[in-house]
Amino acid sequence: MLGVHTVSSFILAWFPVAHAGDVRAPADVFNEIFTVFLVLGTAVGVVVVGYTLYNAYKYRDGAGDGVDADVERPQMGEIPTGGGGGKKLFLSLTISAIIVVGLILWTYVSLLYIETGPSSQQAQQQALDNAGIASASESDAAAQAQANQSGELNPITIDVIGHQFSWQFVYPNGHTTTGELRVPQNRLIELNVTSADVFHNIGSPELRFKADAVPGQETDAWFVAKQTGTYQANCYELCGSGHSYMTADIRVVTQNGYDQWYDRTNETAGNETGGNATEAGGNESASIESARVTAGSGPAAAQQVITP
Amino acid sequence: MSHTKLYAAIYVVLFAFATIQAVVEYAGFLEQSYWLAFWAIIVLSVIKAVIVAAYYQHLRWEPRAVSYLVVGGVVAAVALTAAASFSIT
Amino acid sequence: MSELPPKSSIKRWFLTTNHKDIGVLYLITALFFLIFGGLLALLFRIELLSPAADFLGETGYNQAVSAHGLLMVFWFISPFAFGFANYVVPLQIGADDLAFPRLNALSYWFYLFSGLLFGVSFFQGQTFSGGWTMYAPLNTPTYLPGEALGATTVVLALIMFVTAVTLGSVNFLTTMYRMRAEGLRMRDLPLFSISINLTVWMMLFAFAALLAALMILTSDHILGTHYFSYQIDGAGITQGANNPGASLLWAHLFWFFGHPEVYIVFFPALGIMAECFQTFTGRRIVGRKWFIIAMVLVALQSFIVWMHHMFLTGINLQIKTIFMATTIGISLPFDLMVFSLIYTMIKGRIRFTTPFLFSLGALIVFILGGITGVFLGAVVLDYQFRGTYWVVAHFHYVMVGGATALFGGLYYWYPKITGKMYDEFLGKVHFGVFMLGFNLLYFPMFLAWETPRRVFDYGGLSTTIDLSALELGVYVIPYEVWHNMSTIGAAILGASFLIMFYNLFVSYWHGEEVGDNPWAYATSAEWAVSSPPPLENFHDTPSYASGRLEFLDDEEVAARSSGSSGGGLAGHGATATDGGTSTDGGTSTDGGKPGSATAASSGVQSGGGALARAGPETALGTGTPGEHGHDGHADHASLWPFIVGIAGFVLFLGLSGIRTGGTFYTSLTVVGAVGVFGSFVGMAQEPFHAPEPLLAERWPYGGVEKMKLGMWTFLASDIVLFGAFIGSYVFVRVAYGWEEWHHLIPEAHVTMPGLINTYLLLTSSFAVVLAMVAAEKESRKGVLLSLGATFALGVGFLINKAMEWDHLFNLHGSEAFPHGWDLTTNLASSTFYLTTGLHGAHVAIGLIMVAYMFLRAWNGAYMGDEKPIEYFGLYWHLVDIVWLFLFPLFYIL
Ligand code: HEM
Ligand SMILES: [Cu+2]
Ligand SMILES: [Cu+2]
Repeated sequence: MLGVHTVSSFILAWFPVAHAGDVRAPADVFNEIFTVFLVLGTAVGVVVVGYTLYNAYKYRDGAGDGVDADVERPQMGEIPTGGGGGKKLFLSLTISAIIVVGLILWTYVSLLYIETGPSSQQAQQQALDNAGIASASESDAAAQAQANQSGELNPITIDVIGHQFSWQFVYPNGHTTTGELRVPQNRLIELNVTSADVFHNIGSPELRFKADAVPGQETDAWFVAKQTGTYQANCYELCGSGHSYMTADIRVVTQNGYDQWYDRTNETAGNETGGNATEAGGNESASIESARVTAGSGPAAAQQVITP
Repeated sequence: MSHTKLYAAIYVVLFAFATIQAVVEYAGFLEQSYWLAFWAIIVLSVIKAVIVAAYYQHLRWEPRAVSYLVVGGVVAAVALTAAASFSIT
Repeated sequence: MSELPPKSSIKRWFLTTNHKDIGVLYLITALFFLIFGGLLALLFRIELLSPAADFLGETGYNQAVSAHGLLMVFWFISPFAFGFANYVVPLQIGADDLAFPRLNALSYWFYLFSGLLFGVSFFQGQTFSGGWTMYAPLNTPTYLPGEALGATTVVLALIMFVTAVTLGSVNFLTTMYRMRAEGLRMRDLPLFSISINLTVWMMLFAFAALLAALMILTSDHILGTHYFSYQIDGAGITQGANNPGASLLWAHLFWFFGHPEVYIVFFPALGIMAECFQTFTGRRIVGRKWFIIAMVLVALQSFIVWMHHMFLTGINLQIKTIFMATTIGISLPFDLMVFSLIYTMIKGRIRFTTPFLFSLGALIVFILGGITGVFLGAVVLDYQFRGTYWVVAHFHYVMVGGATALFGGLYYWYPKITGKMYDEFLGKVHFGVFMLGFNLLYFPMFLAWETPRRVFDYGGLSTTIDLSALELGVYVIPYEVWHNMSTIGAAILGASFLIMFYNLFVSYWHGEEVGDNPWAYATSAEWAVSSPPPLENFHDTPSYASGRLEFLDDEEVAARSSGSSGGGLAGHGATATDGGTSTDGGTSTDGGKPGSATAASSGVQSGGGALARAGPETALGTGTPGEHGHDGHADHASLWPFIVGIAGFVLFLGLSGIRTGGTFYTSLTVVGAVGVFGSFVGMAQEPFHAPEPLLAERWPYGGVEKMKLGMWTFLASDIVLFGAFIGSYVFVRVAYGWEEWHHLIPEAHVTMPGLINTYLLLTSSFAVVLAMVAAEKESRKGVLLSLGATFALGVGFLINKAMEWDHLFNLHGSEAFPHGWDLTTNLASSTFYLTTGLHGAHVAIGLIMVAYMFLRAWNGAYMGDEKPIEYFGLYWHLVDIVWLFLFPLFYIL
């Protein structure tokens, strides 16, 4: 089972556009690679440590096999030279090199996938699938309407701003929440992460995204949550006295639930930001702007990302 | 040894190079084509530095290993600068 | 120079400059810091018993964690290793001391006092609480709790520590390249000495980068520059008045140091493991040549992997790929070394003594640490491990794994150092309890790896073990369980040291006396002398020229050191590629080592490679140059290093609070500064004799007299220091936008003062060269005139700079900068003043030296002995060269 899955995901990563199945969430990528590493790592560890102990026991002084071995022993005052056995050494080195390099190359494919994100087609496909699923269980008409409005099928981009000691989330319409991120199930969520004060790092153990929150810089991450529920986001970089408490809830809800909630925020956001960014999924830079104004950290926090 | 003349000649060259660097600016080359002028100036500095090291610090006459030591330091610093700057592009 | 009192006298330990005494001092002091850091760890492990802040509190926890990391990494593990290095390396290479014994003592005192300074920080409100990695901008006063005086003190303590390390690196390199016994090529050194040699190389460059980072940070703390704060409320300009590169600048500087540092920590341990494996298995190290090559590769590569600590910072994909590749690349030489040690056991006669047990334990633990490191090298996995206990567990397995081997070293050399044997049974018990504690402490961290680092509130996390397939149910184990195991392990690990201290203490008084060599199959020279060795190590001169260690009496040494001149009997490669041709240190003579039978079997026999050597040369030393060239025996005592250390302590303590403007700190600063200056002068005045050996192997620095080599190694680290400063400037400017930068600079900042200063410095460099020529020609007038000109030009440089700065500080009537353009105005001003300021400080120090030399020349020194002038010139020209880059970067571009 694991094997089949591995192969298929391998192909998926190679031909991300051609594949029309589920988006491979970062959590899937991680779990798979971690499992393989754990299995191999444990195996290698057991073999090498076992062999070491075996040799140590076998050649122990007295009862050991080394006693009558016809070998030259090191002598006081000699200029050091090496013992033989170079071939064996290089054989072992080669084997370990193959394992290590092979593993890393294999993971590199997944790295590229994580770095570039699922292609937009894939995301769209995913969203369409959702709409299909939703239509089976919920009101047909609503789902149809959704599927037709292709604008809503695009990934949701959310700005994340770290503060000592809380996480702030800014939605495309400028709506801002603190300590709680609400996202729809099975949608591609893209995060643009920065910080208003010191170096933080946001990540979620279940959803397996993680990004440094660096003041004056923007980093990004993405994830897809496949199950509704509440997940936790933590801060992974020491940021001061409240670091331990710097968590946020990630509430994954159904697409419908999300839409309803989001529609309401539209109005509020409009009010809050003086009608600056009222269109849903509207102009991104506008939303970043307003977000930072709401963040209230002064003009310096609104600086742009490094431009070479 | 009559290195004195050589040292004096080198001094003149260094002096001239420094002047050229300033002239590049005064003549407005930086405004015209910044990066060309940039590299010209940097290269002049590198040449000057190598001359000082080779003759005034007489690395030329030392065992190569001393030069490697110096080059090691320079390479480390350049690697840090270049890789760090590249990483954020 | 004073007499050295006996070991029983307290006075001796303040006076001594002998490497063995200093080694002991290092060992004891490092163990003290082990206890210090260890107690802090126990405190926060108690905090972690339950997932709430119920013991230390929030800031207390952060302080304990940060101080623990800093103390263990800086003040315990490396100095502990360097205790052995001090004691053992000169013995192993056949030298009677380090090249610069007083400098060695100075290193020690700086180390000790820097640690005490760290201790003081706890009493200045709070100590530093931003983690051992000290990420920006949490490391700046804005974000540190309270007045942050304690944090400044920690930064200054680190600077003092780095000074000690740099002096030590220069010293060790000079020693190892100038004082090896005849016939002992670099690759023939015992593996411990080789590991120390490479460690010291890494230290020389890596710590210079850290020094740059720390100096900049100090400036941010005390002078108000803006390198590490991203938000700058510059007067006048609102647009772009910020520093987008701030946080990453720190990360780059820190990890450029930090990754080599992890090998700096580990290499000495590796060396000890190799020694113990060879001795206690009775087998020569398998593939020794490759072992050495692997170490060299790792040492080089360690400088190009640093960004694997920064995979999530938003660096671009290309660079991530490159650093992923280098990271994996660096793990392969380690594989080789591990296999080499394992195979060495085959056909051995393994005796499970305490040192061997610790070495074996270290190897096994290191294997686990290495495997988990490969996990981290896979970037996708690293994304998730970053900032979690996986990293904590990984690096404790490797680092404390290294410490494990160091404790092995302590048992291994204990009989040599004390002349007494430790109690073997108690040693084994220590090992057992240690290993139990170690694994109980660190292994559960892998199981609880999802815990975020440096967090005390880990509630809600749990490990799920699903055995439902076996119909055994599903178990959910809360993380408390793992963390409680860890805490218990920590207590056991700590307790194991009580056994060690008891054992070593009691054995010192009641242990069995040992002879020269208690270990069968030990080969290196420290075991060929009494335990403990005599003050000057060897009664006769050690030599390996015959292919094995023998001792030559004075007559033989005299015969060999004069008779071999001309290189007539050189069997191969008659003239060395290096050495011999130098115009300055022309005392070296090429000589052939009669028949190098072992060469073929032991080393790389290639031309051009770093390890290759074209021909052995024996150099004829002439004693120390210049001033104190009196004959007779070497000196071993001086109080000055201690006094410099104390004065430095006072100075730094004063600086830590100088920004408060209070009289207490201000007067400390003044007293300290005067004290440092005075004690350096006192040290320079003191006659102190440390002869170079008559007969020595000096590849590849034959012909480079020890003062000169010391100067060059120091300058190499200075190059990295300046390089890192310039690199910081380039980096923040690139991050800001290279050409937009011009908006940050006032119109009044023009090229002219820089150009004038360029002329002044170039001319002064020329003057120094003339001074050297004059000294050669024994023209006192010429020397005085040239040195006088150098001094005047240097002073002119500083005056010109002062005028320029004054003008820029007070730009009255400037529209863009109504409040002037000073250090705190913006990023461009910060980088400008700090970088050129560092250079100016170099000029000022140079001027003090010129003044000193002028006075000595006045009294007739240097006639026909131009070396001191030459060495000073090396420094001065470097300062000149640096300016050649600062001028265009800060005035033109
Ligand atoms: C097999 C070779 C090794 C590999 C591939 C490796 C890889 C890594 C990587 C990628 C990290 C960064 C983890 C992160 O923060 O995301 C790391 C952390 C670390 N490693 Fe290793 N490592 C290796 C061996 C060592 C050794 C020999 C030492 C020291 C003796 C060491 C000490 C450390 C330390 C101290 C850290 C954490 C620094 C911190 O964040 O506080 N590693 N290692
Ligand atoms: Cu945090
Ligand atoms: Cu590293």
